[in-house]
This record gives sequence, C-alpha cells and structure tokens, in this order.
Amino acid sequence: METLASLAQGFAVALQPFNLWLALIGCLVGTLVGALPGLGPVNGVALLIPLVFTMGLTPGSAMILLASVYYGTMYGGRISSIMLNIPGDEPAMMTTLDGYPMAQQGRAAAALGISAVASFVGATVATIGLTLFAPVLVGFAIHFGPTEYFALFVLAFATIGGISGVNPVKALLGACLGLALGTVGLDPASGVARYTFGLFELYDGVDFIVALVGLFALSEFLLFLESSHSAEAERVPLGSLKGALKELPSTFATMGRSSVLGFIAGVLPGAGASLGSFLAYVMEKRWLGDRGRFGEGDARGVAAPEAGNNAAAGGALVPMLTLGIPGSGTTAVLLGLLLSLNITPGPLLFQQQPDLVWGLIAALYLGNIMLLVLNLPMVGIFTRILAMPYWLLMPLVVMVAFVGVYSVNNNAFDLYMMIGFGIAGYLLRKLSIPLVPIVLGLLLGSQMEFNLRRALSISGGDWSILAHSGIALGIYALTALLLAVGVAVGIVRARRLERIGPLD
Amino acid sequence: MSDRITGLLLAAFALWYGFTAGQYTAGFTDPLGPSAFPQLVSIPMGILALYLVLRPDAEPAWPRGAALLRQLAAIAVLVVYAMVLRQLGFIVVTLLAVLLLARLLGGSWGQSALAGVGLSVGLYLLFEFVLGLSLPEGRLFGGR
Repeated sequence: METLASLAQGFAVALQPFNLWLALIGCLVGTLVGALPGLGPVNGVALLIPLVFTMGLTPGSAMILLASVYYGTMYGGRISSIMLNIPGDEPAMMTTLDGYPMAQQGRAAAALGISAVASFVGATVATIGLTLFAPVLVGFAIHFGPTEYFALFVLAFATIGGISGVNPVKALLGACLGLALGTVGLDPASGVARYTFGLFELYDGVDFIVALVGLFALSEFLLFLESSHSAEAERVPLGSLKGALKELPSTFATMGRSSVLGFIAGVLPGAGASLGSFLAYVMEKRWLGDRGRFGEGDARGVAAPEAGNNAAAGGALVPMLTLGIPGSGTTAVLLGLLLSLNITPGPLLFQQQPDLVWGLIAALYLGNIMLLVLNLPMVGIFTRILAMPYWLLMPLVVMVAFVGVYSVNNNAFDLYMMIGFGIAGYLLRKLSIPLVPIVLGLLLGSQMEFNLRRALSISGGDWSILAHSGIALGIYALTALLLAVGVAVGIVRARRLERIGPLD
Repeated sequence: MSDRITGLLLAAFALWYGFTAGQYTAGFTDPLGPSAFPQLVSIPMGILALYLVLRPDAEPAWPRGAALLRQLAAIAVLVVYAMVLRQLGFIVVTLLAVLLLARLLGGSWGQSALAGVGLSVGLYLLFEFVLGLSLPEGRLFGGR
C-alpha cells in the first residue's frame, strides 16, 4: 500500500509537462540510437551525459531523460536486426536469428510489430518488478554497514564481466585497471595527492564523463575506420502490419515466460540485457521443442529475445537504485550520472529523495507506453533512418562527443584526455579487454576504498572484521557461485554461438 | 603475442602502482591510510597480468596499411581540433574536421563538404539556441 502511495507521488512528478517532454525526446533519441548499427545503449547514454550535465537539468529530470533513452535503445536495437540482419546493439543479437528470416519471407512488418509488443510486455513486467522488489531490497539493505558494502563491491567487480562471454581474466584485469584509475586525485580521507604527476587537472581525479565518452564513443569511431563500409546492406520490403495481428496471440505465452526470465537475469549482477535475451531465446527454444521452428522465422523467436532484453534492462535498475551497484554496463553509466550530480544511490536514496526515485519509476511506465505508440506506426520512419550513411553518422557522433565534453569544463585538457581514452579504449577492445569493468572501477573505486577504510576504522585495523558479518559472508559465497556459473554459461554460450554460425 | 606484451606491460604497471602507493603517508588518518587500497588492487592486477602472459588468447587482427593510416589521420584531425577550437571557433573548426573525417569514412568530396556545412551549422544552432550551451566563437574573429 505504501508502495502505491509512493508510486502515485512519482506519477505526479513524471506527469509534469517538462518531464513528459524529456521522456518523449528520450524515447525518440533512444530508439534512433538503438536502431543505428554501431551505436549501442552505452554509447547513446554516454554521449548524452555531458549535455545533460551542462544543460543544468535537475537530477530527477536528467534521470528521466536518460532512462527513457536507455529503454528506447532496447526497443530500437531490434529494427536493424530484423531489416538488415545486423544487430543494432549487442542485446538485439538474438533477434536476428528469427527476425531476419521473417523479413526475407515478407513478414518484416509482422516481426517489427510483434517485437514492439514483446518489448513493451518485457519492459512493463520489469518495471512492475522494480516497483515491487526495490522497496523490499531497500528494507533489507538499510541494515548494511561498511563491511557488507565492501563485500557488495567485491561481488560487483568479480561478476561484472562474468557472463558476457569474454575471458574472465581480462574482465577482472579491466576492473583492476578501473580501480587504479579511480585512485587518481586527492585522497578524500587524508588529502594526499595520489598519482597526479603534479597536474592540477588531475587533483579532482579522472573525470568520469571524459573517460566514458572517450572509451566508448571515440573507440567506436576508431574501430569503424578499420574497414571501409561502402557496401550497402540489402533492403527487404516491409510488408503489412495486418499479418502481425494474426500471429500476435500465439506469442503471448512466450512473452510472459521470457519477461520473467529476463527480469531475473537483469537483477543478477554482471548479467544485463544481453544475457536476458540470450537466456530467453534458448529457454524458449527448449520449452517449445518440436512445436517451434526457431531459426526459420518463428514469430516466437523474435518475441522471446525482445521481451527478455527489455525485461533485463528494467531488472538491472533494481540493484543500481537500491544498492548503488549496477547490474549492467548502461546502468553503470546511469549510476555515474547520479554520482556526478552528487547523489548516491542506495537504500537512503529512497528515503531522502523519494521524488527522484518514484518519479523515475513512474516515468518508465509512461515512457514504455510512448515507446509502444512510437514504434508501431512510426517504424517506417525509423527503418528509413537506417540508411543514414556512415560518413555522416560517425562525424556526427564524434562532434557531439567533443562539444559535450568541452562544454563541461570549457577546457582543451579534457579533449586531449578524451582522445587518449579513445585510443586506449580502441586498443583494449582489440585485445578483448571489456570496457565496462574499467568504467565501473573508476566510478565505484573511491566508495569501495571508503567502505573498506571505515570498516577497519571501526575494528581498529583488525582485518577479520570483514568476515564477521553473516550477510557479508553470504555475499562472498554468492560471488563464488556467480563466478562459477559465469564460467559455465560462457562456455555453453560460446558453443551455442559457434553452432549458429558467424553473425555477418 | 599481443596478449603477452599487454600482460607484461600491465604487470610492470601493477608493480609501479603498488610501489608508488607505499610512498603515500598521512600523519593523522584512519588505520589503513592512503596507501593500503592501491596496494590491495596492485596484487590481483599483477597476478592476473602474469596469468595473461602465460595463457594468452588468440592474436587479434591489427589494422595495417590503409586502415591504419585512416586511423592515424583521424586522430591527428581530432588533436588539431582540440588545439585550435578556441582560436578559430566552433563553426570553422567543425566544418573542416567533419569534411576530413567524412572523407576518411569514404564520402566523396561533395558529400563530405555537405556533411561539414550541415553538421557544423546544424549543431551550432542546436547547441547555442535549443540547448543553451555557449560554444567558442573564435578568438581570431573577436569572439569568446
């Protein structure tokens, strides 16, 4: 009951005309960013963060805008998966498997329509889940002390790369690099300058926004320059939306199952939307068995991954908002925005800033409806934008990145730093060292250190305090379990993708 | 081979990082002080880096020839952009940068010029008037 009252209060915030506009703009931009191959959710949100910062939006409005972009990218990714057989972003990879065959059979409109509805169902289930579970988790986490938080940070870093299919050693190395970057600057507890090389620009630490835009957006550009993208992808006809109505009822059960599965995958640390869509597709395929024709253009084969990835995207917001520990790359970036605005997510946030939290959750409900409405009739426009040539798209991305980063502090030092991070990000991606753990380390390193030092202050320097709490021990056990599961899933997934064959 | 080199570099970095941390001292502070956490990070970093030296992944395909030149040229364009942005102002620098970047991405001269003019003016109008960010107008021309 209390939750309903809070939610009503949230709707009062989200329904303010300015916030409604922001949500609408966010949904549009998000769908576009998601649809364009080469611009994923992390890139989209990362590019917008410096702009949000300099525009001076209130934290609540800024979160509504960026969370709408985040939800929007999950809708958008499916468009190029279906029309071009190129996933618009990583979570939409599984959607190509049945989406493109459907398009080749002249059922592109049906695939787009059904996947839009599936996205809506997935995101709505996840938002309801967020509404119900977040307060419960908050009630539990309110008793956490520094020992428990330190354990949570260990959990986050040990598992962030866990199920993404990359070499776990490289994911952990990335986390260490990020933590090392996070120690640059004045130590808040003692005022000692660490790793600043005498540069005053570094006294405040490595600017998260600069690092983020460089690592993601600029490295993407450098990666793009490697190959000449002159070949135009084959266009398939859209077909009629009427076919979608006929096939839609047969996919409802699939959407329900996949949404629940995706939500759970999203809540788990280190999983995120890609795992949500992957699990949903694979489990649905197994569930249906002979009754499904997965891989040959089965409508349920688009419904499952789309419901799964949208549900996971919403689920990933649960640990981010309640514990301050993001469950995926994009939520890590959203967390960075909050921290940059001097807001610390966690159980106290729900008590101190209920307008922000519940306004955001209410905005997600509204944004979801907007996205469904936008994505059904306007899908023709979005598919046409896919034809935007790279010689226009990529300079646009680079220039938005430069203006955004420059306008935060109005100095050229940030631009040089960003170029440096861009080159580093490119090299790391070539070496398959994932970038998300680095960003997460940079973001959360200072808090991890703070909690560790507070715990040892309480114990007077006795390290055994870290093992005194039952909850902390439970979290360490969960860490070990998730690491083991991560390695196992990574192996299964690699085999599975091999069988499907190369994506392009 | 790339992984082995990366592993060696990161191991060296971890060593330097950990040792440098040892020099940070503060008079009155908590039991751990400013040096413990970086040292704590440097240990797993060093071990993981050495593991990478011993068990490297397959070699990635590094760019060579024209692709590498394109990338270096693009980086040069971006560095020069950062150097002259204040002096020449947003519109001029962005026009030239987009023109060159679009050429590098395979646009024709005509397409690239169009992209340069369109993006520089379009983004200027968007940022200056819609979003209310003030962009450098070029000191050479008497602007901010």
